[in-house]
Amino acid sequence: MIGFLGLDVGSVSTNLVFLSEKGRVLESVYLRTNGRPIQAVQRGLRQIQGLLPPKTVIRGVGATGSGRNLAGIIAGADVIKNEITSHAVAANRMVPGVRTVLEIGGQDSKIIILRDGVVVDFAMNTVCAAGTGSFLDQQAARLNIEIENFGELALKSRAPVRIAGRCAVFAESDMIHKQQMGYDLPDILAGLCEALVRNYLSNVGKGKDISAPVVFQGGVAANRGMKAAFERALQTEVIIPPHFDVMGAAGAAMLARDFVSRGAPTRFKGFGAAEAGFEAGSFECGGCPNLCEVVEIREEGSVIARWGDRCGRWSVRAARENIS
Amino acid sequence: MPVKIGIPRSLLYYKYFPLWKTFFEGLGAEVEVSGPTTKAVVQEGVKLCVDEACLPVKVAFGHVASLKEKVDYIFIPRLVSVSPREYICPKFLGFPDMVRNSVHGLPGIIDTNINLYRREGDLYGQFLEAASPICRNPLKVAAALRSAVGELKRFNGRVESGMLPENAFRVQEEKFPFQAENRGTVALVGHPYNIYDNYINMNLIGRLDEARVRVVTADNVPEPVVNMYAGTLSKRLFWTLGRRMVGAAYHFLDNPRIDGIIHVASFACGPDSMTGDLIERRARRAGNKPFLNLTLDEHTGEAGVVTRIEAFLDMIDMKMGVDAGVGDWGLELGVGTQNTELRTQNSELRI
Amino acid sequence: MKVTFPHMGHLWICLKAMLEYLGVDTVVPPPSTRRTLDLGSKHAPEFACMPLKLNLGNFMEASEMGADTILMAGGCGPCRFGYYAQVEYEILKDLGYNYRLVVMEPPEKRISELLSRIRQITGNRSWLEVIRGIKFGYRKARAVDELEMSAMRLRPREIIPGQTDAALSAALDEIAGAGRPEDLPEAVERAEEIMRGVAWENRPAIRVGLVGEIYTLLEPFANLDIERKLGRLGVEADRSIYLSEWVNDHLFMGLVRGIRSSRLYKKSAAPYLRHFVGGHGQETLGGAVYYKNLGYDGVIQVLPFTCMPEIVAQSILPGFSRETGTPVMTLIVDEQSGDAGLVTRLEAFVDLLAEKRRGKERLA
Repeated sequence: MIGFLGLDVGSVSTNLVFLSEKGRVLESVYLRTNGRPIQAVQRGLRQIQGLLPPKTVIRGVGATGSGRNLAGIIAGADVIKNEITSHAVAANRMVPGVRTVLEIGGQDSKIIILRDGVVVDFAMNTVCAAGTGSFLDQQAARLNIEIENFGELALKSRAPVRIAGRCAVFAESDMIHKQQMGYDLPDILAGLCEALVRNYLSNVGKGKDISAPVVFQGGVAANRGMKAAFERALQTEVIIPPHFDVMGAAGAAMLARDFVSRGAPTRFKGFGAAEAGFEAGSFECGGCPNLCEVVEIREEGSVIARWGDRCGRWSVRAARENIS
Repeated sequence: MPVKIGIPRSLLYYKYFPLWKTFFEGLGAEVEVSGPTTKAVVQEGVKLCVDEACLPVKVAFGHVASLKEKVDYIFIPRLVSVSPREYICPKFLGFPDMVRNSVHGLPGIIDTNINLYRREGDLYGQFLEAASPICRNPLKVAAALRSAVGELKRFNGRVESGMLPENAFRVQEEKFPFQAENRGTVALVGHPYNIYDNYINMNLIGRLDEARVRVVTADNVPEPVVNMYAGTLSKRLFWTLGRRMVGAAYHFLDNPRIDGIIHVASFACGPDSMTGDLIERRARRAGNKPFLNLTLDEHTGEAGVVTRIEAFLDMIDMKMGVDAGVGDWGLELGVGTQNTELRTQNSELRI
Repeated sequence: MKVTFPHMGHLWICLKAMLEYLGVDTVVPPPSTRRTLDLGSKHAPEFACMPLKLNLGNFMEASEMGADTILMAGGCGPCRFGYYAQVEYEILKDLGYNYRLVVMEPPEKRISELLSRIRQITGNRSWLEVIRGIKFGYRKARAVDELEMSAMRLRPREIIPGQTDAALSAALDEIAGAGRPEDLPEAVERAEEIMRGVAWENRPAIRVGLVGEIYTLLEPFANLDIERKLGRLGVEADRSIYLSEWVNDHLFMGLVRGIRSSRLYKKSAAPYLRHFVGGHGQETLGGAVYYKNLGYDGVIQVLPFTCMPEIVAQSILPGFSRETGTPVMTLIVDEQSGDAGLVTRLEAFVDLLAEKRRGKERLA
């Protein structure tokens, strides 16, 4: 079999997809990044290799997510692309004509506005977690609910409770307050969904021209309570595409497919990369009061990349050493 | 030994440094500027300043603190108004009081009111007061002010011709900084202390330069053009910097040579919340240019900024591709932004 | 033409009186509620201050009631309020509202500037009539202020909990109901009578001065009913600014004599903040000093999130507190504020003040 790999390394999760020659998602894996992105990428490569027939040929690799550079180095990516563009590409291929992409992941969220398949506007959440999935995770833990059951329970609500609070901490205290007042669990859960939707729309969604077709993707799209809350707030149908939880990786793979279709040979290091000895270290540079923490990636002992320095003194040197 | 005057590299330093420096040096003083903003400066500022203030004010606190043991006086004028019938932000009006009440162990403070709200004739009196700790000779002050104003005019001319302030501060003309291959022109709109402080904005201009994008800023736009476009507002804007930002942004929206606009705002900044809305609303109505709103504070993650810039540049590439009639936009994407740049820092990444 | 205006506490009582006296068809927006704020925050810039968001919500709700013209105050900075009207108008335009906007910019030189602006909506009424209308509105503002002041004195001393607020609301109805200037004196008489009906006993009360940004001070919805909450905790509150004082300072150029004026605050703020900073930043410090001199137990500063002049004041108030030993608490409100947190903080602050007073009494 011949196909393409997409890697999406985020702060919470690492996703990989295998894309067929025709551009369809055939396999995907999802792992927790657990703060160890190198290991997550290597485990992911091993897992997806296990799902594929032995003689699979990888023609191209795309990396995205906040750890895209690291993932790109480890796997040998052909395209390293930011997650906005990757998500937009995937949504547009799976739901042609999409005009609005709502994406909510574990620790970030974004909105992308497309017209005729072209991104014309976008926004990402600011630092606050209240517009992201971790908001629901935290409250679910607090309420002793499995996050998987959250959506089903929320759908049973008849009158969602209003939960106030821009930040997750304040929302939590308000939720506890409502709990103590004796509100029904489904109403509280639905209220949390509405709070997340409200925070999302007034933060990343502010001023955006949200029009149908609207696609909702990212891990949080698994929560049916969220879909319902978005539909109530936007007064329009919200489409959850297949593979909604690995759209970033899918988009990266699609971009890699486009890229190599112009004849470039892939830089993929092979699944052996999963076994190579990568080491990451960091040191604080004392060159100036910025005290940058420089990250250094070594493969089998030699430095293959450095970043994290504001001035470029280390990263440029690493690149030069690499070339020579 | 000459008197040493400290000037914080913050706030309106980026607009008036040549004036201040020439003036104090003309009086025989030595001028010391605080160093570029660093993590240490920001940390100190955040510690000293009330949390609700915007990042630029916190950074200014950090710069003041970094100067306090090195100089005889710190020059933090109370900038009430620098243009008739206009103000700057309220925080500039209260800045010296905020500093006095929050920073301990300060040397002398020169906090003369600079107030040109009513008429310009008073400038001399105000600078006479600013000079008083060093020199009380009115003739010398007048001469120093005259050459300082001349220097400021030359500086403004250099900035309008397209130079960045930090380059234009140097007297000798330098080459235009953006020699890189042109992948389009992006206009930066925002308060000068956000646009030109590379630490605050995470080296925005440098990143754009590296991405082969030509950068112009609101300060490169001549005053008459700014005024013409700001004049399309239904009411005159009473913030000098805000008027420039709105006027320049409207000009950029109209200017076919500008391919996209980045609006840089501070988290919780009062004027930005209003002028930003006026700008973004018109950009949206025009709908002809990619527009990015970057909101910055001390918690902003670099990874997020980089992702936004990259996605914004993709937007420009796509639009250029579409305008040029190139087919599948996904196909075109790989080319311009094939990203092998490894300097991207992911602050959330802990390995 | 159906004219509406934003809410700010009981401002509507005097504006409605003035406009209706002049024969203008008036739509008072529904009182500000959660819905108002939700509507406003949804469409306002995220970092705009809360008053702008509430104004916007007021206009959207008034439009549902048929309003087609907005009467709004202006300003010349540096506080954002001076540009509210224009930004709100642009937002409403993009949302498809078809409003006409009339902005009352504060007079710069002559009071006649104000009169001519009022005439934009009153048409060809005689000057005398316009002046009578303004006077009518102003007298209502004074009456409202008097009632609020007496409510603040009564609340901590009332015998039946809640009686003061019930009386206040009935008394305000009397003032609001007076349709003609000649009806007002009797209405005031009846209102005072209602307030006198509140049963009270003479207990010592902790005294707290409320200072800060005018809108959040005057609008109970914005400050989460802080005056009532304090009253319920046995606190006699006063605030640094009342409606009639603001109208006199800002619209009448201080022509009315004999009432408290912001000039007083500006003078007492001098040791801490030597220059005006827009909005009421300087008055906030001046007010703090004023209350300290009157022997108040503590000061609470109320401000909307991102309010620039108040942030200046906020960063200077700790110095005032240190120097004078006056406890100061800052309360920042926005669309995310919740009741539960406020009550806890108020209780803790009042406990602190009571403890401090007991300590003082033990020493004396």
